Amino acid sequence: MNAADLSTLISRIDFAWITTFHIIYPPLTIGLAMLLFFAEWRWVRSKDEGWYRLCRFFERLFIVNFGAGVATGVTMEMAFGILYGPFSQAAGPFFGQVLGYETITAFMYEAGFIGLMIFGWGRISQRMHLFATANVAISSTLSAMWILCANSWMQSPTGVELRDGVFHVVDWGEAILNPHFLTAFPHMLIAAVELSICFVAAVSAWFLLKRRHVALFQRALKYSILSLIFVAAVQVWVGDELGQTVAETQPAALAAMEGHYETHNPDGSVNSSWNVIGWPNADNDGMGWSIAIPHVLSLLETHSWDGAVQGLNEFDQQDRPPIAATFYSFRVMVAIGGVLLLLALWGAWLAARGRLSVERVTENTWFLKAVVVAGVLPYLAIWTGWWTREIARQPWVVYGLMRTEDGVSHMSPELAIFWFVGFAIFEIGVTLGTIHFLAKICRHGPDVNSPVAFDPHDNDGMAPAGQADHTAAQTA
Amino acid sequence: MHTLSASQQVLIFAWWFALGVSVLIYIALDGADLGAGIFSLFVRDHDERGAIMAAMAGTWDANETWLIVAGGILFGTFPYVYGSAFNYLMVPLAFVLWGIMARAVALEFRHLASPFWQRFSDGVFGVASLTVTFFGGMSVGAVLHGYPMTEEAGRVPTYVGGAFAFITPFSIWVGIASTIAMTLAGLLFVRARFEKDEPIRQDAAKWTATIFYLAIAAVAVTTAWSALIFPWAANRWFGPGIWIWGILFIVSLFAIIQMRRATHQDRDLAAVLWFNGAAVIMGLGMLATMFPYLIPGTWTIWDAASPEVSITTFTLTMGGFIPVMIMYNAYQIWVFRARVTKLAAHAH
Ligand code: HDD
Ligand code: HEM
Ligand code: HEM
Repeated sequence: MNAADLSTLISRIDFAWITTFHIIYPPLTIGLAMLLFFAEWRWVRSKDEGWYRLCRFFERLFIVNFGAGVATGVTMEMAFGILYGPFSQAAGPFFGQVLGYETITAFMYEAGFIGLMIFGWGRISQRMHLFATANVAISSTLSAMWILCANSWMQSPTGVELRDGVFHVVDWGEAILNPHFLTAFPHMLIAAVELSICFVAAVSAWFLLKRRHVALFQRALKYSILSLIFVAAVQVWVGDELGQTVAETQPAALAAMEGHYETHNPDGSVNSSWNVIGWPNADNDGMGWSIAIPHVLSLLETHSWDGAVQGLNEFDQQDRPPIAATFYSFRVMVAIGGVLLLLALWGAWLAARGRLSVERVTENTWFLKAVVVAGVLPYLAIWTGWWTREIARQPWVVYGLMRTEDGVSHMSPELAIFWFVGFAIFEIGVTLGTIHFLAKICRHGPDVNSPVAFDPHDNDGMAPAGQADHTAAQTA
Repeated sequence: MHTLSASQQVLIFAWWFALGVSVLIYIALDGADLGAGIFSLFVRDHDERGAIMAAMAGTWDANETWLIVAGGILFGTFPYVYGSAFNYLMVPLAFVLWGIMARAVALEFRHLASPFWQRFSDGVFGVASLTVTFFGGMSVGAVLHGYPMTEEAGRVPTYVGGAFAFITPFSIWVGIASTIAMTLAGLLFVRARFEKDEPIRQDAAKWTATIFYLAIAAVAVTTAWSALIFPWAANRWFGPGIWIWGILFIVSLFAIIQMRRATHQDRDLAAVLWFNGAAVIMGLGMLATMFPYLIPGTWTIWDAASPEVSITTFTLTMGGFIPVMIMYNAYQIWVFRARVTKLAAHAH
């Protein structure tokens, strides 16, 4: 491998590393903001203090996660220009524009409200606070929307024309509403909600196992498990839709995800068998070994008994993505999708038999343990989902139009390594810190004693500033 | 590279202005946070350091977002600069990013940590603030030099000069100068945000005198040095428009003197505003000096702009979002305007 190839490889790893470490945080920000809004809204409506306590407790976890999201996200914004300069220049007219909208319509919007949401308790009115929470949820969703629009365009670049090395936008509508965006954004958004539900459920189950604040966390657990039934099911369905999109727009990627080499069997019939597991052979022209079930592939991808799916051998070796990584990442994600659905159904069954009530919920030790463990699964699904998506796009950075090696910045392997080592240290540090503090907040438990943050306007709007500060200080 | 219509030129000019304004707002708002961080390196009292961080807890994220907005505008409207300048500045920007990351984490996690780790996070916060300021300033200095580009037919010119081309005596100096300037901003911030009788305010006052004269010297040296080594600067400053530059110079001098008077009279908010006024005038002056170049000698704003700038998106963002954004940013600063005491270290 020559120096240029080596630096390209390391740049790819650099980028993969920082995105992998960024994507840990935003899904929880997005989904938890929605759940916090729900809890706060219930509180404002019913005046039931339980919702308030839950809201304040999960908000503390939210803040820690948010800080880490910002810390790792700022890097992302700059990293395109640093590591992928030529790509940024070429794709700038569309891709850069979209990221520009994101910063303005999402980050700035979010930053304006997040301070109010976190520190505004007792300083702004209840309604204003609820409004701030809603806006945090909306703005972080917008951010996911724009970033997915940009990424999806890299997967299915419609609406542009490559002239003089630059992607000129010929149709904004087509470029923004590109095929991948329409399915990948819902899939990502649901992933965020699913992750947050599982997170809340896992934390609640942990408290229930410890028999601390049972009444409070029984409520959180019940609501989250019951909503998971719906969310997990929809996710499997939307994931399948996304698979269809990949099949239509990136046949080589789909073939790699399924380890599918031959379109037709030697006898001329359609090769419809689906590899459950397996490993590609050394020549990369077939599976070395695999366990396969006939017809399933056609069913999955074409929704018909014998539909033909293009195999990898129809693509030049140099146009094929890495097979093993794509194949296994994809399987892990799909398996997790299934497991979470089963878990939700288990919970539904328990609920139907009255076993999730406050009196009995702590008896279900096995179920609670499973829920705690399941807290990490959505994280893993999101990682493997993104690895599938990004690795299966290779060797293209903009599918079919620009190769990754043409998009990376000119730099030496040493420099690429310098970057990698620096970010590896920082990002592992951020992650360990986050985990440590999340655990610490959980050990500490919710604060059920401080007075409920009072509404400055309940006091004829005349609350002395000092007193309001004091309340905020106590409850924050 | 491509021919632009008149309306495109107007739009590009407007975006360029918006970019400059975002950078300046960033410097005005986050500069104070960064400077306070540098100052915190010299604060002995544990709770006082905590209180400095608590004083910016509600706003630092919004302040920092102006940098992201500037990055977004750069990528969206001037992608050719974004893709090449960041490549040129790869090393200093890596330090800036590590600094930003470390600061964010120190700010968010401090109140949760045990006293030992709090001391650690204070150190990280201070050093990270210094790193961001120094390397940020150095990047600005390096950009003023311009950089070499490839020339291949049919492709956008990309950066080729190697990773360390950014190191020059001048860029190092700009790093130092911005450290001085930001420290001054930080001192004014500390004075404005703490209760009048807090000891830390007195310490900050002692520092202000020295740093004030250092900052004046720094501005003078940077200006003189630029005039010496950059023909584009000298030509503009000493060309036919010399009286305009003279007026700008006098106005900024006036703002600086007003700032000094305000600190003497304990009018903290006024001091901050005069400081920001001076910074904005000088910043705009620098942008105007470089015009039409975004990167002197390398990219004019016309060459660097995306061929797809459109009136719709500009109107939406500038007419809609940016003003709204400024409004709630201001509201937020208003909500968190109260002065704090050392006890704020324990407030959340
Ligand atoms: C909680 C997280 C989660 C869960 C349970 C699932 N996914 Fe997923 N999946 C993601 C989270 C995710 C993701 C990380 O959010 C991705 C990466 C990019 C994207 O838009 O969504 C993704 C991408 C992604 C892709 C696109 C790959 C590409 O573009 O190359 C497909 C085809 C699927 N998923 C299919 C599924 C199916 C069939 C699932 C269930 C049975 C499933 N996903 C469950
Ligand atoms: C949504 C916004 C995203 C955008 C715009 C984006 C863009 C990119 C770009 C420009 C590259 C480098 C070029 C290349 O190697 O093809 C890349 C590579 C990569 N990204 Fe992403 N990415 C996004 C999200 C993610 C996330 C969330 C993850 C992981 C969790 C991820 C994982 C990867 C991996 C593993 C690679 C390396 C692929 C390889 O080179 O083999 N990406 N992405
Ligand atoms: C690879 C491309 C990505 C880039 C360039 C990027 C950029 C950024 C930046 C700059 C921030 C900090 C914003 C601030 O200061 O408030 C951030 C945070 C955030 N990002 Fe990303 N991001 C990427 C991937 C993603 C993905 C895939 C999602 C979601 C689906 C996402 C959603 C968010 C959200 C919601 C935040 C704010 C909340 C938080 O920090 O936790 N980003 N991102």
